[in-house]
Amino acid sequence: MTVPLLQLTAVAKSFGAVRALKGVSFDLRAGEVHALLGENGAGKSTLIKVITGAHSPDAGTLELAGQRVVQLSPARAHRLGIACIYQQPALFPDLTVAENIALRLEPVTPLRRVAWPARRRQAGELLHRLGATISPETEVRSLSMPEQQLVEIACALGAGARIVIMDEPTASLTQQEVARLFGIVRALRQDGVGIIYISHRLEEIFALADRVTVLRDGESVGTRCVRRENAAGPKRDVAQSTEAMADAPLLTEAQLIQLMVGREVSTLAPPVERELGDVVLALERVGCAASGVQAVTLAVRAGEIVGLAGLIGAGRTELARILFGLTPADSGQIVLQGQRVTLASPQAAVARGIAYVPEDRRRHGLILEMPIAQNIALASHRWLFPGTWLRFGAERTLALNFMRDLGVKAAGPEALGSSLSGGNQQKVALARWLATRPKLLILDEPTQGVDVGAKGELHRIIRRLAQEGMAVLLISSDLPEILSLSHRLAVMRGGTITALLPNGCQASEVMAAALGQTGERATE
Amino acid sequence: MQTSSSSESGWRGLLRRHETVLFALVVVEVITFSCLGRRFTTADNLANIVRHSVEIGLLALIMTPIILTAGIDLSVGSTLGLCAVLFGKMWRDAGLPIWAAAGGTLILGALCGGFNALLITRLRLPPLIVTLGTYSLFRGLAEAITRGTDAFTAFPESFLAIGGGQLAGLPTQAWILLAGAVVVGVLVQRTSFGRAWRAIGFSPTGARYAGLPVERSLALAYVLAGTVAAIASLTYTARLGTAKADAGVGYELAAIAAVVLGGSSIFGGVGSVPGTLLGVTAIAVLGNGLSRIPATMSNAAELTGTLTGGLLVLSLAGRALAGRGKRRIASGFQGGGTE
Ligand SMILES: Nc1ncnc2c1ncn2[C@@H]1O[C@H](COP(=O)(O)OP(=O)(O)OP(=O)(O)O)[C@@H](O)[C@H]1O
Ligand SMILES: [Mg+2]
Repeated sequence: MTVPLLQLTAVAKSFGAVRALKGVSFDLRAGEVHALLGENGAGKSTLIKVITGAHSPDAGTLELAGQRVVQLSPARAHRLGIACIYQQPALFPDLTVAENIALRLEPVTPLRRVAWPARRRQAGELLHRLGATISPETEVRSLSMPEQQLVEIACALGAGARIVIMDEPTASLTQQEVARLFGIVRALRQDGVGIIYISHRLEEIFALADRVTVLRDGESVGTRCVRRENAAGPKRDVAQSTEAMADAPLLTEAQLIQLMVGREVSTLAPPVERELGDVVLALERVGCAASGVQAVTLAVRAGEIVGLAGLIGAGRTELARILFGLTPADSGQIVLQGQRVTLASPQAAVARGIAYVPEDRRRHGLILEMPIAQNIALASHRWLFPGTWLRFGAERTLALNFMRDLGVKAAGPEALGSSLSGGNQQKVALARWLATRPKLLILDEPTQGVDVGAKGELHRIIRRLAQEGMAVLLISSDLPEILSLSHRLAVMRGGTITALLPNGCQASEVMAAALGQTGERATE
Repeated sequence: MQTSSSSESGWRGLLRRHETVLFALVVVEVITFSCLGRRFTTADNLANIVRHSVEIGLLALIMTPIILTAGIDLSVGSTLGLCAVLFGKMWRDAGLPIWAAAGGTLILGALCGGFNALLITRLRLPPLIVTLGTYSLFRGLAEAITRGTDAFTAFPESFLAIGGGQLAGLPTQAWILLAGAVVVGVLVQRTSFGRAWRAIGFSPTGARYAGLPVERSLALAYVLAGTVAAIASLTYTARLGTAKADAGVGYELAAIAAVVLGGSSIFGGVGSVPGTLLGVTAIAVLGNGLSRIPATMSNAAELTGTLTGGLLVLSLAGRALAGRGKRRIASGFQGGGTE
């Protein structure tokens, strides 16, 4: 049996009283995609950061190709051929895309010059491979969340590493980009690279992974094979182990979920037909030259969930930003509950009962340095603190209620936003806006990074809110999610709505409309 | 008086620790000076310390919310000077009753702050640039009005009592400072304004996305700063008995030093009113004490400056080591891959 590329043995890591990893063992072979699964806060990102040297483990050993490695630092991990796409893009906002990629590939030393033209060309090529239409000269600050994610991926690919780690690389990508990424991952596997892949989208695990390790509460609950046909991999032991498994039934999705959460998770029933209320939001040829949105006409009724589908850059987030007063519209009209309104600032939008859960939870959705309770209360000061007096008790109760309802895993309402796992941050960002009891709720990728169990719960909450009369505008790159939740689907392309599809339409129709094709099939 | 730790609980440990250290520092100062200094621990001298620190104390108090928002106001000293001159003008030359002139001064102070606020929120200019401009502008105006030489004197006794009188056994200024501390403390720790200031300091974009009234909150902080500078101009004039264009020169830096020593982060979000009060106290006691020790008496002012600077550097270094830039990392590059 050959030595694995990477072997972790009994790794433990605590943050104060929080035991994020309690003795996890894990191995990665050359030429395999090893998926890492688990609920929010299970310890996946922490395990990754141990491998990349960002966290030093409290106990346990790490071996690379049979060699014990101690005192791993991010720079050393990089030299040893470990590249990582972090869950939270960790790019320098003031530098350009090319500069960011160059820095990541070749950390600058004081006396060495960087050959910028070559670097720029390389950045352009990497992005092109991913099918991203981002100019290497753009400042990262002005990129959207999915675009930043694509840049992160480009960084990792360009490093030419032996081990590539991807922590929820697809959380905010649409099917097009995902399909392209999968192509690249398969090519890497063919070349004998070991890939650790984290995702809460189970269908991706089944499409891509050879083996899967499930973490629960900082412990490994087992490693299983998910595919048979990976014998094409270059290493014999992979083939052998799959042969041995050949007769054993492969893992089903339900079993995987069972492993992850330790209980059954009920899946979402198709939407129920019911009477819708009055029109809450009516858009009449709304446009904004600055953000490239033009002539959007759409109505959302009370009790209705309208899905907004489209590719990255189709203008969905830009439309949401208009409605939330972040980039006010400069043409057309917005009618809110029968009244024509101008939404000139987020304050104005909030005062009119509009809530917006942004896609970038770390920059926009949360204030990371503030405790959970203050984050949840932040948009509700008006009703929570009448006469501007803070009411700490009421704030705490509000936070505890939402933390319970949404299953936020944290030390308590005083825990800082920065100490939460990605999925739990997302839940807090959502809680903040649910707490405002809005009339119109705009959700931008509300379940990105949220585990399957919590996702089902969030879906039920969104549907319940709609049933209670809220109008919901749902932006999501998760097609099954948007298909099952929405009463109607609006497909955007090039800054405007190009198709309105009824409840029960097919994924392929949505994709075709998003790509601007008619009739032709467009699935991965 | 409420303490910071009872409210903004996420920073409870940190604040408590910093304030404890500061308190210990003040205690050490007091003990040292009572041993070495001449007539340091007399009631007269303690009253003296309060009288001399009230202006910088007030400015430091109102600088706290501004620094919480990651802003700065370099113009408060100049506003103090301009207000002192305008106060004299209104009373002596325009013939207003003294208390009407005082009321008018507060309004003019608020207008000075409003001017800063307007430039900062409407034109979105950085507070450092705006208030550096008005720092020169307001001082220049004060000098132009007095042509650099005119001084206002002979104020009525009733007004001078603010500077030299007593109320319930304490110097009048002690009550003014206390009132200022309570008002600013409550605003910062107990109202949604304080919460908004903190949020803006941590992340202006995050505060905007939360629908907070970012502009209004910022404007309030700067208008309050102008108003409090006007109050300080009155106590200053009453204390010295004259109002001249050079009133309050350099006070802005002394106030900022006290705030930073008090535990506020210049990057915003972190800070407390009790901390600021301790910072003011530590610096005031140091200055007074040095002027009471025979060996340092002659150059107490220079020594105070040097030692304050040293304390500041020490306190910042201590905080940096304790937190290892926790805050910056949390907001920026938690991934760690770029370090
Ligand atoms: N810097 C930190 N300080 C304190 N606690 C932390 C820190 N980082 C992680 N934790 C805690 O460690 C646990 C594991 O977090 P981790 O980020 O590894 O979860 P995860 O499996 O990646 O979850 P998700 O699917 O939500 O991304 C969580 O309870 C989290 O709150
Ligand atoms: Mg994670």
